[in-house]
Amino acid sequence: MIQRISIPASVKTVFNHTTRVTTPKVILWEGREYLVKKVGLHHTFRDGRVFFHVFSVSCDTLAFRLVLNTESLIWTIEEVSDGLVD
Amino acid sequence: MDLSIKNDFTQNPSTIMHIDLNSCFATIEQQANPLLRGKPIAVAAFTTPTGCIVAPSIEAKRYGIKTGMRVKDGKILYPDLIVLPPDPMKYRSIHLRLKALLSDYTDQLVPKSIDEFVLDFEGFPAFNKGLVKTGSEIKERIKKEVGDWLTVNIGIAPNRFLAKLAAGLHKPDGLDVIDKDNYLKVYSELELVELHYIKQRNAARLNSAGIFTVMDMYQAPLRQLRSAFQSILANWWYMKLRGYEVDDREFARKSYGNGVALKDTYVTPEDISPVLQKLVEKMTARMRKAGFKAKGVHLGIVYRDGSYWHQGKSLTEIVFDSREIYKIMYRLLWHSPYRKPMREIGVTCFELVQSDQSQLNLFEDVEKKERLSVALDSINEKYGHFVISPANMMNTDGIVLDRVAFGGVKELEELVLAQ
Repeated sequence: MIQRISIPASVKTVFNHTTRVTTPKVILWEGREYLVKKVGLHHTFRDGRVFFHVFSVSCDTLAFRLVLNTESLIWTIEEVSDGLVD
Repeated sequence: MDLSIKNDFTQNPSTIMHIDLNSCFATIEQQANPLLRGKPIAVAAFTTPTGCIVAPSIEAKRYGIKTGMRVKDGKILYPDLIVLPPDPMKYRSIHLRLKALLSDYTDQLVPKSIDEFVLDFEGFPAFNKGLVKTGSEIKERIKKEVGDWLTVNIGIAPNRFLAKLAAGLHKPDGLDVIDKDNYLKVYSELELVELHYIKQRNAARLNSAGIFTVMDMYQAPLRQLRSAFQSILANWWYMKLRGYEVDDREFARKSYGNGVALKDTYVTPEDISPVLQKLVEKMTARMRKAGFKAKGVHLGIVYRDGSYWHQGKSLTEIVFDSREIYKIMYRLLWHSPYRKPMREIGVTCFELVQSDQSQLNLFEDVEKKERLSVALDSINEKYGHFVISPANMMNTDGIVLDRVAFGGVKELEELVLAQ
């Protein structure tokens, strides 16, 4: 099931200075910590002047769509999926 | 040129490569969400039962689910089908990354749609290395640099048509060549309708001229093809099947348009006017951004009973202002004699002229109106689409959604412009 939400979340990221890549590593959501196992896709878009980074990441049982607003530096979870049918 | 004596396949080398991302939208969704990998999924215009499937995954295709089916029909074939709405920004991002990767090999690179590219290697080092080897390298680099779940079909041939045909021979993840050494074998294994652009009606035309197979078509003299097509198409088919290039023409943009498949029921002009206004706002903003104005407008409506009504109008004045174009469109809308539920509505501006052409008017200050449009566009560009919009458009959020044009290449030019 895919649940569309829009909830600010705590996200720990790591910046690798050799590859110059930033990766979300841990998501804290509803009192639980989710360790990111894989970044499926990272893409960006612009809404007006505001630039957004979108990380599609997966943990053991859930996949998240994490959005970073580069103006406010707020992380938002926009989508949670368990990869199963509704 | 006497084409009838050229009854042989070209001896030109195979320099054209066609690259096609398999099940594009669905595969990209599986790339983004690893929990969906290996499962039958489909991207649909709407996830409701009557929504149209625009991209089934490779796994879904194995259950017979096809592009164009309704979601409910897909679910009959596979009840656990996972249906997702489109996420155009994701697909455009992958398109741009693929384009950047492919441009390492040749600058003769033409995107044919969001998931298709044509590369011409003539005179480039990759050609000397061998295009099959280059194709394999491109496949590996896509997996490593763009996405590990992404697979592409690659076709290599002396012309674009045969390269596309070769790309479709072994799906998914194929790499095939059609050239002077194997074209007869390939032709003998294909049916007429497996050729791109030959569907039932063209097949019937060919049948009526005594052509029933691809081999018949290849061996047919030009006059026999002319009797089937009754047009220049006969010459083009004659050349294409012999490996000569006839598809390397690029057409300039002639119009801007926006359309929407309607989820809710709209019957009267008053009902549909907010949607019409939003379509006009979107279309005219794109047109102005690209530096054009228009001298013609067109409105088309498909009704739920399958009927179609449309009307166009060539204008005496050059138009660019959304409000003005909306008024003309709204008047056109009232010309429709039908008051029945609409399924789709589309607006188009044609007879494009460059923005620097203005037509002064005795009764209004055109330059002032132009400055206002530029100011409004700048504000919307800076603070987000529709930050300033007509009051009539209130409550239209979620009605005219961002979509990837089906098979369109012109919007990709705007995408590059936006970068």
